[in-house]
Amino acid sequence: MEKQLIVDGINETLSEEFELGIDKLTPDAHLFDDLGLDSLDAVDMLVHIEDKTGVKMDVEQFQKVKTLGDVYDLVAEVSSQSKLN
Amino acid sequence: MQKVCITGMGLVSSLGNMPEELFSELDKGSCNFKFFEEWESYNGLETFVAAPAKEFDDSSLPRNVRRSMSRMSTMAYDATKSALKDAALSVGRNSEENDLFKPNHHRTLVIMGSTSGSPIFLEKYFKKMIENGGPKGQLSTSFFKVMNHSVAANVALALGYSGPLISPSSACSTSSQAVIMGAELIKAGLYDVVIAGGADELHYTSVSVFDVVKASSKNYNKEPLKIPGPFDANRDGLVVSEGAGIVVLESESHVKERGGKVYAEFMGGAYFCDGIHMSQPQAEQMSTTIEMALEKSGVSASQVDYVNAHATGTKVGDLQEALAIKKAFPGQDIPVSSLKGHLGHSLAACGSTELIAMVEMMKNKRMIATRNISSVTDEFSGINILKENVNAEIEYAVSNNFAFGGMNTSFVIKNLM
Repeated sequence: MEKQLIVDGINETLSEEFELGIDKLTPDAHLFDDLGLDSLDAVDMLVHIEDKTGVKMDVEQFQKVKTLGDVYDLVAEVSSQSKLN
Repeated sequence: MQKVCITGMGLVSSLGNMPEELFSELDKGSCNFKFFEEWESYNGLETFVAAPAKEFDDSSLPRNVRRSMSRMSTMAYDATKSALKDAALSVGRNSEENDLFKPNHHRTLVIMGSTSGSPIFLEKYFKKMIENGGPKGQLSTSFFKVMNHSVAANVALALGYSGPLISPSSACSTSSQAVIMGAELIKAGLYDVVIAGGADELHYTSVSVFDVVKASSKNYNKEPLKIPGPFDANRDGLVVSEGAGIVVLESESHVKERGGKVYAEFMGGAYFCDGIHMSQPQAEQMSTTIEMALEKSGVSASQVDYVNAHATGTKVGDLQEALAIKKAFPGQDIPVSSLKGHLGHSLAACGSTELIAMVEMMKNKRMIATRNISSVTDEFSGINILKENVNAEIEYAVSNNFAFGGMNTSFVIKNLM
């Protein structure tokens, strides 16, 4: 999946499910500090992103992400690896 | 022993979300029963009538609070917020409402519940579980909407309340049990303030429960406003509604010390399971419950001016309750009415909602008659089933609420306005 499609898909999901303004969804936005999300939201974000992109991420890997840019990168990386496999 | 005062009231109901509005609509004989055409597609369902709640405002709730709330939790929060405002109390940890009194949260109790977690989200939760063959796709917040104490926990979270909290659940007697238990704990000296009540949301599965046991109205689906009221000779069953009713109970010494207003004294109440039949009401046990409530209240039957019946409009239930009232108030021809013909049956919310309506009747010196009642059979002789609203002083009033499982409750309040 192209990176831009991933970014757009994630942003659309976060905007719909977590009531976040699109203008706030920048790569350097910190999930907890800037977007006001917490650990429960992070768990639900995994489910929503999997539903939207079809990319299944490892929970331990996802726990390391801090910013929205980290989320984009992780989804893109897992997506490309699953294509290779 | 501490006296218990009713100092705040809040509700969401099918006839309004303020006590004054509720009374005004009851006085006019209003009713919000509606035909739900989409329910005709549910296999086996024969009842297509219900009473949805009036619109209420949950816009002030932040997303991270709302995410775990079902409709019944938001209704309960709205009613609780109104009841606390009415009592001029604030129980939030970080509340900045300086005009409101902040009680000691170690001596404050929140006690409220519902019939189940949330029928709306229970259906979604298990539908997804079955479709996916397991928990795949479940959100972390899904369970928090359906757990049995969801209403109580969500109201505490939304208020920012840290303190004792109990979540009773006994279907249609949930909120009357909550209020009675809360009052008993104040009388015992354990708490100064108790925020008590219940909530339930409308869903076809709740209606199905009564449909299956042939207790819901089916003959007036296309003409819901013509459904005969409770006690009427042609009654054909109950109408499910939704809402939340929350009252603030306070020890007399506490409310006096802070200079708060008082509506009524909660004299006492009783809960008494019949242990005889899961669904068939038992007049003998109901009457024992009323007599126990009077005894615990120190009030004689002859002092009581009015009885607010649970009567939902079923053939058996209404008659058994009437026989129970006749036995508990012998030779008194006591005025009796049920509000289910106006409000519908709001299940876990009905006891506390009817308590609020009774206080409004006391305040307005007016007894509200049962709606849509034209003829009553001889079986009901010996009690005065009100067919028209009556101007009357009410000093003492009794309220009954009963639930599946033989869960009988009664309580007594005294007008202090």
